[in-house]
Order: sequence, then C-alpha cells, then structure tokens
Amino acid sequence: MEPGAGEGSSTDDYESLISTTDAELLKRAWRNEKAAPEILKFEAALVQRSRQQIQLMEETVEEFTRNGVDPLTVSLYQMDLDRTLFLLRSYLRTRLQKIEKYVLHIQKTAELWNRLSKQEQKFAIRCVGDLTQHLEQSVLTKLPDQYQSHLKQSGASENDDMVPEPKLDTYIICRSKKFLGAFQLDDSGEEPVNIEADDLYALPYKSIKPLVESGQIDLV
Amino acid sequence: MYGKKASELVKEFVSCEPGQLTTFNNDLFAQVIEECNGHLLHLQPLMRKIQERENKLKDNMISEDEMAISEDEKRKSEAEKIVIQTAMKSDQFGALIHHLSLVRNKRCLMAYVYNRAEVIRSLGWVVDCVLPEEIEERLSSSEKEYFKNHAATLQTYMSELDLDLTVDMVPPKDPYIKVRVLDDIGEVVLSDQVANLARHAMLFLRRTDAEQYISQGLMEELTG
Repeated sequence: MEPGAGEGSSTDDYESLISTTDAELLKRAWRNEKAAPEILKFEAALVQRSRQQIQLMEETVEEFTRNGVDPLTVSLYQMDLDRTLFLLRSYLRTRLQKIEKYVLHIQKTAELWNRLSKQEQKFAIRCVGDLTQHLEQSVLTKLPDQYQSHLKQSGASENDDMVPEPKLDTYIICRSKKFLGAFQLDDSGEEPVNIEADDLYALPYKSIKPLVESGQIDLV
Repeated sequence: MYGKKASELVKEFVSCEPGQLTTFNNDLFAQVIEECNGHLLHLQPLMRKIQERENKLKDNMISEDEMAISEDEKRKSEAEKIVIQTAMKSDQFGALIHHLSLVRNKRCLMAYVYNRAEVIRSLGWVVDCVLPEEIEERLSSSEKEYFKNHAATLQTYMSELDLDLTVDMVPPKDPYIKVRVLDDIGEVVLSDQVANLARHAMLFLRRTDAEQYISQGLMEELTG
C-alpha cells in the first residue's frame, strides 16, 4: 500500500482513538450540557471513571514530588489534573444550576427526573422543599384559600400553570461527526435539512433532541 | 386602578441591576396583599349571588318540565328567566374581573419573590454561608431563612460527592497564582503550605485555595 494511504488511515485511527478517551468524552458531555437548554442524561460511568483517574493522578503527582522528579514534569501533570478537575466540577455545577432553575418542572416530568443521579435527586427534593416553604411563608399563606397553590394560579386552573419550563425551541449551534443525510426538522412541512459531517448548523433544540440523545450530534 | 401597585412592585425589581437586590419592599407587598383580600371580599358575595340565581334558574326549569302549565305562564317564566340571566351576567362579569385581578396580583407577587429567590441562590454559589452585611439588610426574614436552607442543601450535595463545587469557577491557566492579601487573616493552613497571611503580603498560592479568599474580598489576584 502507498505510504500516503497508510498515513491517512492511521490519522483516522488516531482520531477515533482520541475521541473515545475519557478526557474527550468528559469534554463532550460538558459542552453538550452547557449548550442544551434542558438537563441531559447523567453520565454516571464517565464521572466515576474520571474521579478514579483524578485520584490516580493526584497520587502520581504526590509520588513525583516526594521523589524529587523534575518540577516541570510535575507541574505539567498538575496542570492536566487541574484541567480535568475543572471539567468535572463545571459539568456537575452546570447540571446543578439547571436543576435549581427548573426544579418544579423536573419534579413533575418523569423523563427529566430519570436523568438525574441519585444525589441530584436528593438535592432536587430538598430544593423543592426549601422553595415551597419560602414561597408559602412570604406570599401564599397570606392569599385567599383558592389561590394558595404554588403550582396552579387558582383553584380554577386546569394545568399547573405557575411552573416555569425550559424553552426547548431555542436555537443552538451544533455539528455532526458523520453524514446524516436529509433530516426532517419538524412536522410543519418544511424541507428536510441535509446534515453533513463537520459542518456547523444553527437549529432549534427541539428538532434535534433525539439526535443529541443518541450521541450523533454534538452541541458547540 | 387594580393591579397598579403589583406592577410597581415588579418594576422595582426590574429596575435594579441584574444580580443585585433592592431592600425587600414590605410596605408595597403588604398593600398588594390587602388589595387581594379586598378582591376576595367583593368576590365572595358575588359568587353567592350567582349561585343563588343559578339555583333559581334550575328550579324554574324543573317546574316547567314537571307541571303542565298554560301558554301564558310559560311566557311569564321565559321572561323571568331572561331577567335572571341578565342580572347573573353582570354578576358574572364582576366576579370575573375580581378573580382575574386577584390572579394577576398573585402572579406579580410570586414573580417578585421567585426572582429574588433566584438572585439569592446565585449568591449561595459565590459566598459560603455568611452573607455580607449590606446584602443581609436588604432581605426579608423568610429570604434569610431560604438562603440558609439552600446553602445547607448545596453543602449536603457537595459532601455526598466529596467534591467542592464552589471553587474553580474559571478555567485554570496556571496551577499557582500570585495574590496580594488585603486584610489581616493570620496563619492559615492551606493544602500544601502553612502561610502567614499578613496585610499587603504577596504570595504564590494554589488557585483553589486562593479562590475562596478572593471571592470574599480579602485578597486580590495580581495579574501583572
């Protein structure tokens, strides 16, 4: 085989290898979470593995400092450690802030509730309790009987109309790794969009929700 | 005009900078609650009257069906029905206005309290458990309690995970940063050294250690 073709396939292999390392996966999960308007599925296995790796790195750095290894190497390892730690913390923080913002809606919707980890669910329950207690203390107990619900506007409302929901039709910028072909955006009869690999698209989140969930599209 | 005070309350919240809070306006709040109670006082008798008229209409219709009555009587009961229905309409409109104003006031009050709660929550990420004084005097007692509860909830989550989420707010550039201490803090045990944080001292600290002091305003980062 020609060396050119051989090199081409080896860069492909390298890329596919790189894209499945935990650091890459964590970065991807972090980016998706930051860009999406609603909360996405909790990557439990990834978080677990990342924490183990961070632990390992910390021990390695300690060992190096003890053995007097070249401080430049130590600081490089330290930087890598810091960066991974930052990604992990920011990922969890973004999720927590989304939960705080839409906690009443998340509690009502089973699909969203199942996307939380166990600890996040405990956090959400306490959050709802705190918020409800605060609202009731300051406003609701002072209002007449039929109007004391924090979920409904009055006794006559049919749905829970006082619960804020995330706007799912905000536009987000996304990129697909593979060629996905013609994709029907929604039912309004508009023409399907041709999704090519590595092109940037600005689309409403609602239309590409299933693609994000299956991992075919990345948010930027 | 109904609802004017409530919209004033909301406007007051909007007028201050995002992320800042004005003093909790207890007076205006109490006035809006009073207005709501006033609406209720109007609403209840109206609803009673509507119910009475509805019952009367129902009785009329039943009596029409059951008894065999003459043409004259039928026309009279039709006229009666129209009178009752028109009177009921004015009551219904009145009741609707009171109900809708009440609901609007409730929405304004909830928006005021809810949005302030959002600002308080974002404070919980920056400050640990103790609020600085200028902010504390602007909160109502219920808000102070909410802040404490929320901070405790966050702490529980973080200790369950064994990971501090309030540090590392900005992507790291260097593992160590240069800081100047602004206030006398004294001897402090940090993650890798014991430091004497005297005023005007310039030190190299680990980023995660320095962040909590910087957010409290006791240190500043030297970027030059």
